[in-house]
Amino acid sequence: MKKLVAYAIIIVALLTGFGIPAAAQGEDLETNLKAAFLYNFTKYIDWQLGPDDAQFVIGVVGMSEVERALEQIARTSTVNGRRIVVRHIDRLEEIGGCQLLFIARDRRAGLREILSKVNRGEIAVAEENGAAREGAGFNFVLAGEKLKFEANMRALSSSGLKVSSQLLKLAIIVKK
Amino acid sequence: MTAFNNISIRNKLVLMQVFTSALVLGIFATFYIITEIQNYKNRKAKDVQSIAAVVAQNSASSLQFQDNQAAQATLAELHAVSPDVVYSAILDQDHHVFASVGRAGSDTALFREYRNSVGAFFSAGTLIVVRTISNNTDKIGSIYLQVRLNELARMRSYLFRLAMVLSGIAVLAAFLISFVLQTYISSRLLALVRTMRRVGDTGDYTLTLADEGTDEISVLISVFNSLLLQIRENERRKDEFIGVASHELKTPLTNVKGYLEILRSMEERNPQRQLVDRAFLNAGKLEKLIEDLLDVTKIQTGQMQLNLTEFDFDELVSETIASAQMLSKDRPIVFEAKAARQVRADRQRIEQVLANLLSNAVKYSTDGKPIVVTAVATGGDIIVEVADQGEGVPAGEENAIFGRFYRAKGVSQHISGFGLGLYICRDIIQRHRGRIWVRNREDGASFLFQLPIAGPDFKQQHSSTKSSM
Repeated sequence: MKKLVAYAIIIVALLTGFGIPAAAQGEDLETNLKAAFLYNFTKYIDWQLGPDDAQFVIGVVGMSEVERALEQIARTSTVNGRRIVVRHIDRLEEIGGCQLLFIARDRRAGLREILSKVNRGEIAVAEENGAAREGAGFNFVLAGEKLKFEANMRALSSSGLKVSSQLLKLAIIVKK
Repeated sequence: MTAFNNISIRNKLVLMQVFTSALVLGIFATFYIITEIQNYKNRKAKDVQSIAAVVAQNSASSLQFQDNQAAQATLAELHAVSPDVVYSAILDQDHHVFASVGRAGSDTALFREYRNSVGAFFSAGTLIVVRTISNNTDKIGSIYLQVRLNELARMRSYLFRLAMVLSGIAVLAAFLISFVLQTYISSRLLALVRTMRRVGDTGDYTLTLADEGTDEISVLISVFNSLLLQIRENERRKDEFIGVASHELKTPLTNVKGYLEILRSMEERNPQRQLVDRAFLNAGKLEKLIEDLLDVTKIQTGQMQLNLTEFDFDELVSETIASAQMLSKDRPIVFEAKAARQVRADRQRIEQVLANLLSNAVKYSTDGKPIVVTAVATGGDIIVEVADQGEGVPAGEENAIFGRFYRAKGVSQHISGFGLGLYICRDIIQRHRGRIWVRNREDGASFLFQLPIAGPDFKQQHSSTKSSM
C-alpha cells in the first residue's frame, strides 16, 4: 500500500511537474513527459467508447522507453473509468483494436505503412519531425527546450473522434 | 413666562418627532447601506468566481500540457475583458506560479497571504478569488484573481449621499408635519393658559373653555372648567352668606343704635354721656361696615341702582370734608380748587365715594400732614383728586386695590376694614360712566375720579372706553 501511494505521488508529480524544461532534464524526463502527455490526450478526446469496451488500449509500435512509463501510469489511472492496457506491437497486423497508437522513433521509416493501418476511432501519435505532415494525428516536437505537439486536423477528423478545442489550442496545427 | 413655557413645549414636541424620525431613518439608512454593500460584494464575489471558473476550465489543458504561454494568453484575455482585475495568476499543484499577468497595483503581500487558500476574500477595497483548477476529480492547480473594487467606494459615497438626502428630506418632512401637528396641542394649551390668566386678572369666574375631545388636554380643560364652576358656586354661597348675614346683623344694630340715641338724649352727665357717645360712634362704624357688605351684595346681585338728582358739587364736597374732619382732627383736610358746577348724579353715592376716599386718605396719612381735595371741571367732566401724604400704593397694585376684599400688603396689620371701600367706589363711579384711578406722587398717593357733569345717560360713548380701564 505504501508503495502504491509512493508511485501515485511520483506519477502525479510527473504528470504535472511543470516549469522544468524537458531537454535540460535529459532523455528520461522527456520519456516520462511523453507518456504523461499521451495519457492527458485521452482526457480531451471523446473516445465514443461502447459498453463492450471494457478496457482502453494504448498500442506502442516499435521500441521505446515510453512504453515502460505508460505501463506505470496504467497501473494507477483509468480512462473514463476503464482500465488502461498498454500493448506492444511489432507486426503491422497487430495494429487494430487500439484507441491510441504511439509510433516510436525507430519506426520512422515505415511510418506511412503504419499510418495506413490506423482505422476510424483510432488516433496515431508519432515523435519525429514531419510525422504529422505525413498523417499522424499528433506528433511530439521540441520547441526550444519545451515539449510541444503538432496536430494534423485532417488525420484527426478522419478518425471520426471529437478532439477538445482545449487540447487543440495548445497544439501546433498542421494542415495537409 | 407662559409664552416661554408654551414655546418650549412646542419645541419639545417638534424635537421629539424629529429626533425619533431621524433615529429610525438613521437605523434604516445604515441597514440599507450595509445590506446594499454586502449585496454588491456578494454579487461581485459571485461574478469573479464564475470568471475564475471559466478561466480554470480554459487553463486546465494548459496546465496539463505545461503550456504556460497558453495560460498566459488566457489570463491576458481575461485582463483585456475585465479591466478591474489587477493581478491574476495560475498556480500549479505546489502553489508555484505557472503563469501570471499583473498590473501596477497588484499587492504581493495579499498574494502571499491568500495564494494557498480557496474562496473569495475581501481586503481593503480588494476582492481576492482563489479557485481550484481540476481535471475531472484531480486537483491540478489553482487560479488566483485579484480585483480592485473601484465601484465599492463610488457606491458607498453614492449610497451615503442618497441616504443623507433622503434622510434630510424625511427629517424636514417630519419637522414640518410635527410643526403643524404640535399647534393642535400647543394652541389648546395656550388657549387654556390665556383663559386662566384672564380669570386670574379679572376674577371673572364665568369664563369657560369649550373643548371637544378626550385626550389629556381635554381632561385638563374640563378639570379647569369644573374648578371654575366650584369657585362660582363658592362665590355664590359666600355672597349669599354675606347678604343674609349683613342683613340679619343690620336689624338688631339699628335697634341698638336707636336705643343709644335715646339714651344719649337722656343722659347729660359725664362720664356716662361720653361712654354713650363712644358706644354710639362705634355702633355707627359697625353700621358702616355692614352697609359696605350690603352694598357689595347689591353690586354682586345687580341690585345697585342710582338715584339721579341735580346738586351743587362743591357743596357736597364741603359737607363730606366736614364730616370726615370731625372723625379725624389731627389730619387737616383742605378743599383747594372748586368745580363750581351743578352735577347730575346720585348724591348719596357720590358722597359715599368721597367719604371713602377721605377716610382712606386719613387712614394712610401721617399726622399733621394735610389732605388736599381738588375738583376741576374740564369739558363735560368733573375730575376730583384726593391727595394724601402717606406711603403711596405699592407699584403694580394700582389696579388690584380696587378689587374685592383687597388689603394692601404690609399695612393691613394696623389698619382695620374689610377692604371693600375702593371696590364699592369703583362700582359707583363706573355706574356713573366715569372712572376712578390712583396715581403715586413723590410725597404720597392721589386718588382721582372723573364724573360726567350731565349724568351717566349722556356720556355713552365717552365713558364706555374709559370705564374698562
